Order: sequence, then structure tokens, then C-alpha cells
Amino acid sequence: MFEMTQVTKAYRTDLLETHALREFSLKVDKGEFVAVTGPSGSGKTTFLNVAGLLETFDSGSYRLDGEDVSKLDDDARSRVRNHKIGFIFQSFNLIPDLNVFDNVDVPLRYRRMPAAERRERINSALDLVGLSSRLSHLPSQLSGGQQQRVAIARALAGDPALLLADEPTGNLDSLMARQVMDLLEQINGMGATIVMVTHDPELARRAHRNVQVIDGQITDYKPYEPHSTPASVTVLHPTAADATYG
Amino acid sequence: MREDLQILRSLPGVVAATVVNAVPLSGGGSSTSVFTEPNEKGRRADMNYFEVDEQGLDTLGVTLIEGRNFDATIVTKPPRNSSFSPSGILVTQDVAKELFPKEPALGKTIYTGTSQPVTILGIIDHMHGSWPGWDKVGNVALFPVIPDETYARYMVRAKPGQRDAMMKQAEEALNKMDNGRVILKVRSLEYIAANTYADDRAMAVYLSVVIALLLGISALGIFGLAAFNVSTRTKQIGTRRAVGARRTDILQYFLAENWLITSLGVVLGCVLALVLGYWLSTAFELPRLKLYYLLLGVVGLWSVSLAAAFRPARRASMVSPAIATRTV
Repeated sequence: MFEMTQVTKAYRTDLLETHALREFSLKVDKGEFVAVTGPSGSGKTTFLNVAGLLETFDSGSYRLDGEDVSKLDDDARSRVRNHKIGFIFQSFNLIPDLNVFDNVDVPLRYRRMPAAERRERINSALDLVGLSSRLSHLPSQLSGGQQQRVAIARALAGDPALLLADEPTGNLDSLMARQVMDLLEQINGMGATIVMVTHDPELARRAHRNVQVIDGQITDYKPYEPHSTPASVTVLHPTAADATYG
Repeated sequence: MREDLQILRSLPGVVAATVVNAVPLSGGGSSTSVFTEPNEKGRRADMNYFEVDEQGLDTLGVTLIEGRNFDATIVTKPPRNSSFSPSGILVTQDVAKELFPKEPALGKTIYTGTSQPVTILGIIDHMHGSWPGWDKVGNVALFPVIPDETYARYMVRAKPGQRDAMMKQAEEALNKMDNGRVILKVRSLEYIAANTYADDRAMAVYLSVVIALLLGISALGIFGLAAFNVSTRTKQIGTRRAVGARRTDILQYFLAENWLITSLGVVLGCVLALVLGYWLSTAFELPRLKLYYLLLGVVGLWSVSLAAAFRPARRASMVSPAIATRTV
């Protein structure tokens, strides 16, 4: 479903070269729920950007849903993001001028989907996250948890092969965080493949599998074993777990 | 006068020459009113008339579309201060239509203010008279009359490309014939017309500069607004890119948004222009605002706004989708 092999990514300035990912390899099977953890600056966000085709990488290969997406041009990457990937961002990233319905509609419009089909998908996604009664609300009229549920509906509406969640509960209080995690688990239970980047070991524990990234490399990797929930988490650097992660 | 004309017509670069009482587009000339019935009755036409001889038509370079030109036999030199009117005249189509809107004017008799009958011998296609600002500048008649003046004004048509040389030759030839005469001016019609239109041209230049400045300021405003919209929505653009927008989608989005804002202003401007135009036309009897000016303005403003917004929109399209995952 998702396979990165020996992926490297470096950021370069005139004076400095920073290796964000080094020979990074990760395979995620269909229906898996993987948590990617690591300290601040470890390369988690770069991994998420590369996995979500938001950034290119320098070498290695990346297959997503049976398609080699390593060398795609910008338009093709946009198409893959639109059709195969659903994003859930830490700060929700809803468009403030659009109401709930229109926010969920954004990726579907870029897919040039007929209006009737869009409407059906939006209603069904908002039903799933329990916000079908808030169609005309603006993001500013919703709580943080509700905004994140709208963002999840937006990610799900396109029926993506992969859901990428970037600290999905990072901006939420514990109650709302729990609700969002419950929702993610529910979605995963329905067959969705989820890769979640988080610094919260509690949340990571709720995934099938944990992958820890340090200095752009996976330091703890276990292949997916179905029915192995909850996952066991191995924190290689316990002191880092208490630090501020990003 | 006839001798002068003979000399002028014999010059190699001359096509035709006539004596004339006034020069078209010069700002100076004579006018009269004619009627379709005696005693100032029937339909009336005000017209600017030129007294010329049989070569007047060719010298002015106007086209006769009906009837015939004067011949030398009907060109007369009336006594000074008489109420003489010629027996036949040439008129422009504008005059003909004003006098006889539903029937042919050729051969018809019309009447001067003193009820003297005059026959329309020919119809001229189109000609501008002496006063470009007059709303009936196309109402012109040619009278077969040699003006009775204390001085003579000649009009000469030169062969193509020989005008300037011919002007010098004509002056020399006339001086040679009569050394004691005083030639006041030798001017081209182009020069006279340019002088007459100088104020209008200056006003056109002034207004064009003002319009260009206003357009420039508008373009800067649109550019600033578009740039502001892009810079304050970088995260939003990144999010749109992340969920599947292509660069061209972002470009189109910002251009469309800018087009909508501009169109709002354009519609408001059109309404104000129509209202103001209507008020000016009723209060000051100015001509109504032509709709195609509005249409041209709308298209022009859309083009300017598109050009002004293009750069910021293109900058927006270059925003990386990775911006979406940044929390700061």
C-alpha cells in the first residue's frame, strides 16, 4: 500500500546541508494504523511531507497504492494527493471564509466531481464525524475538536487510500483529543490506512504499530502484525520523550 | 484674379486651383440658411458656404455623387454689398437630407432668406466646413461665385508629394507677375487644420495622461490588494495545494477573485457614468454617453486588472504545499 525505500532528503543552503531523512525505509500495509514518533527535529515532519507528496526527495523510491510516485511532476503529484491522500493537520487548516460544507468540498472541487456526487460524499463524511447539523457554520463558530472533525471529514470525503495525520490532537484539550482519536480508530476500523505523526506516547500507543524516527532514520521498526493492537511502544531515548516534540 | 489663377494652374505640380472666400477647418467662414419654400417657410437648413470657381470641387478634393459641377459660365462676380444669390449651388448630402429627407434633392429649388430661388445642381458626398466644433460641420454648400474682396485667397491642390515645393513655386510665380503685391501667408491645409485642432489635441493629450495616471494608480491598487491577499493567505494556499489544487488552479483562483472584485467596481462605475452622463446631457445639453465607450472601458479595466493581479497570483501559485504542515 505504502512503501518507502532508502529515501533521503536534505535541505541545503549556501553554508549548510541538513539531512532530514537518511535512507528512510518504511512499509505500511492496507488497513494499518501507524504512529510515527520522534523528538523535535528528528525528521517526522519531513517524512510526512514526503509521504504526502508535499515535498520531493533526493533519492530512493516511494510507491503508493501500487503506483511509483517517486518522479512525478508537480501536476501529477497534485492529482495523487487529491485522489489518494487525505490530510489531517495539527491546526486543522480549514479555510476561514468557507462554511463546513464548502470546506469539505474543497478537495472534491479540485477533482472536478459532479455536484450531486460531491454533495452525497460531503454529507456522508460529515455524518460520519457527527457534524451533519453544522453544514453552514463557519470554522470560527466551531470548537477546536469540531474543527478537527471537519478536517477529518474533508480528508475522508475523497475516499483516499492513505490518511496522513500530523499531530491531529496537538491543538486540542484532552477530552477533545480523545474524541478525535476515537474517531480515527473508528475510521481505521472501517478499513482506512492511517499514518499519524505525533509526539504523544499515549496517542501513539493507540496505533497498531509505532515507528520512531531519530536523526532522519527509523530507529525502531517492526513489520505490521495483524490483530496486534494495542501496539507496544519502544522508546529508545526516554529522556527525549519528555522533551518538546515537533 | 483670373490671371493669377491661370498662372497657378500652369505650374507643373498643380492639380487644380480656385479662389475661395474661406478655408475649411480654419475656424473662419460664412454661413447662411436656406428653405424649401419662399419667405423662410418649409424645411430649413443652416449651412456653411464656400465661394469658389469651377475648379473648387477638384481643389477641395471632394466627391460629387449626383448632378454636375459648375462650369465657368455660371461662375459670377457679383457687385459688392448686393443681395445676389447664385442660380445653382452644390450641397453636401447632410444639407440635402435636412431639406428633403424623403425625396431626392438634386434639381430642387430652394430659397435664400430673401426668397431668391437657387437650384441644387449637385450633391457632394461629404465635406467638413470651417468650424470643426459646430454640430452641423457637415452642412456645406459651394457657391459658383468669385468673392468680392479687397484681397484674394487662393486654394491650390498639388500633385501627391509636391505640395511643399509647389507652395514655394506658387509664391514666386505670383510675385513675379506682380512685384508690388503683398502675399500674407502661404500655408498648407494640414497646417491650418492642425492649428484649429491644437486645443482639442492638447485636451486629448491632457485627458489621456490623466486616464493613464488613473489607470496606473488603479493597477497599483489592484496589485497591492492582490499581493496582500496572497501574503495573508499563504497557509490557506498551501492547504489548497495539499488537498489537490494544481498551480494553475491557484493562479485561476486568485485571478478569478480579482476579476470579481474588479467587476464589482466596474459595475458601480458604469452605473455612475450612466447617471452622470444622463445628468450632463440634460443639464448642459451635452451629447449622450455612447455605450461603446462604457464597453471599451469595461474591457480595458478588466485587462488592466488581469495584468496587475497576474504577478501576485503567479506568486501564490508557487507557494509550496508543504506550507500546510508548518505550525508557525
